Amino acid sequence: MKSNRRQFIKQCMLLYGSVLFLPSCRPSAAPVWYSGFTAQEASAIDAICEQLIPADDYPGAREAGVIHYIDKLLYQRFPQHKQTYRQGLAGVEACSQALYGNSFAELTGAQQIAMLELMERGELPARYWPQTTQKAFFELILAHTMQGFYGSPRHGGNKDYVSYRMMKLDYPLLIGQNRYEK
Amino acid sequence: MKNKQLSAIVVGAGAGGGVMAKELAQSGIRVTLFERGDWPSYDKHINDELISQRVQELGSAFGPDWEKNPRVVRHDDGSEQLVTAQSYAYNHVAACVGSGTVSYGAMAWRFMPEDFKMKSVYGAVPGSTLADWPISYEDLAPYYDKAEQEIGVSGDMSQNPFAPNQHQSYPMPAFEYNRDGAFLDGVCREMGLHPFSIPMLRNSVPYNGRAGCIRNRTCCGFACPIDAKNGTHNTVIPTALATGNCELKTNSFVYHIETDGRRATAVSYFDADKKSHRLEADIIVVSASASETARLLLNSASSHFPKGIGNRNDWVGRNLQGHAYTGASGLFDFDLLDLSGPGACVAIMDYNHHNEGIIGGGVLCNEFYQLPYAFSQHRPPGAPRWGKAHKQYQRENYHRLGRMIGPIQEIPNFDSRVMVSDRVRDYWGVPVVVNTGSRHPIDEKHCNFLASKAEAILKKAGAYQTWQHGGGGGMTGGQHQAGTCRMGDDPATSVTDRFGRVHDLDNLYIADGSLMVTNGGFNPVLTILALAYRTGEHIVNQWSV
Repeated sequence: MKSNRRQFIKQCMLLYGSVLFLPSCRPSAAPVWYSGFTAQEASAIDAICEQLIPADDYPGAREAGVIHYIDKLLYQRFPQHKQTYRQGLAGVEACSQALYGNSFAELTGAQQIAMLELMERGELPARYWPQTTQKAFFELILAHTMQGFYGSPRHGGNKDYVSYRMMKLDYPLLIGQNRYEK
Repeated sequence: MKNKQLSAIVVGAGAGGGVMAKELAQSGIRVTLFERGDWPSYDKHINDELISQRVQELGSAFGPDWEKNPRVVRHDDGSEQLVTAQSYAYNHVAACVGSGTVSYGAMAWRFMPEDFKMKSVYGAVPGSTLADWPISYEDLAPYYDKAEQEIGVSGDMSQNPFAPNQHQSYPMPAFEYNRDGAFLDGVCREMGLHPFSIPMLRNSVPYNGRAGCIRNRTCCGFACPIDAKNGTHNTVIPTALATGNCELKTNSFVYHIETDGRRATAVSYFDADKKSHRLEADIIVVSASASETARLLLNSASSHFPKGIGNRNDWVGRNLQGHAYTGASGLFDFDLLDLSGPGACVAIMDYNHHNEGIIGGGVLCNEFYQLPYAFSQHRPPGAPRWGKAHKQYQRENYHRLGRMIGPIQEIPNFDSRVMVSDRVRDYWGVPVVVNTGSRHPIDEKHCNFLASKAEAILKKAGAYQTWQHGGGGGMTGGQHQAGTCRMGDDPATSVTDRFGRVHDLDNLYIADGSLMVTNGGFNPVLTILALAYRTGEHIVNQWSV
């Protein structure tokens, strides 16, 4: 945990440093919502996650805040996955533009699902992922989406225990040890 | 007080080391108990599925530190891969006071008499180092008794004709079944099988000054919030400390044993500040798990033991075994689960031994409850892993999935092993464990056997869809790791004698799963505890003047 905290502090220093000393270097006035990725990357992640666990009668990945889980994971715990995300998302975007002439996040639900199904089977053109593979990226974001949706809210996802409610699991999960939960 | 002049070092405060510390300290021997981890504290062991001992996606609550303790996996093609405690094939065992006994599922199995004489019962198996133990069930039975009393077991074997202790009572009554347990018990009976309530190292009623279990579903993989689960951290280790003869050094990592050729004389260890120290003792006991015990012996090579202590004949680290978990799942059209924890509560031993064509076999139990993330990773073959169908499956089947699963007795082989790396070192600069080799191919057949029996039960129970899972093949070890310092009467084919004393030395003993010649078709902890009681008593008798 120590090194995580260190990394976190380093990140903060970088951020503050840029704010304090190099304000003119910040791109546009768009608010920074995520530590690990750009606004465009974020909208693609959000769209992918929402297809992996879509809203139906119950909230989906978007409402559960899965993207916050992934953001936190990439800057706190597994910075080594950042690269795979960046390369994976770049491939998704390029492929989406080539196939549909539009960003992944702007595609229809049916188009997004079709692309993800092909990615899962590794059947999209491989040239869009020269440095990673579509399957490797798919498996990574699928695992993280499941962790974010079903894991503890303290990691950023599963907001308000949406997945537990859906599965009719009562709280506190562990009697006498719920001090972190409320 | 007698023996006051004697001193002992015990390396590792898990199942074996905890018992050993207590046995020696009570006899008056001055004990230093080393643990590379810390005391478990509830502030670290929170209610978090992603940081439990069963699911470690974000780390382990019970150590070791994932960045400081890498290991290497060597694949069949010779390629090597660096792994952390959260990776496949790391063979992770908790590093804290109590080790796995803090967070385990706590099944309290005695091995069966046949498990101690596998070669006599089944004959030689080509490509295997299958052998009899140098001791019998009868030799170990009194120490099973002691473990059950002192650590604390709830159970009742009177309905299980296969139990070696069928006519003997446990200190606490058996646990009541939960809903799926009661249901599957009935199904098994209809099939002519012999189900019974699983004996558990968990208090069914208040015992030893601690509370009775309140049936949390987060039990296996977690520390107990009310201390109703019994490990060495809340029984024998506090007892050892209370004698005044035992000092526990936490966050202290023993990395080397010195010998003069005939006796082990001292250990070297790093303290929490990475400062190296040296400590001498009259008796040294290593109980650091099948991986770390072998590593310590191999890393202690010297002019007396150029290939590592006890390794004159290249048996240290060999015969690594674990348990290929295998079974079946079934979906029902009614709610099967009531979520009264920890889940696993009914078992059958009908498939341990005496099954045509099967060497060993394994116990079958209903499964510990899975939490939502783990459940999302488990699907019938071909079922969608994501999308609307995934989500629907999660909510419709969480309460309607039945499962029977068990540990197959693995058939040991010489090439499934723990070595030490000549390239990779840990945070302290000590060569790390290399895991290599794979299970004996015959395990696959035994896994298929047990999985098909599990599936038959679920079909009989009325599941509308069933499937088998788990199986042999691949690397072994895991939390049930065993066999790397086999005990035996012939120094040419074993590392220790029948009391766990390393053949070449007068005063170096082993007290963990490393000793086990074969690993049984059961969770091994009670056998590790019993072996430690036996070796502890032996040391006291041997060394008392």
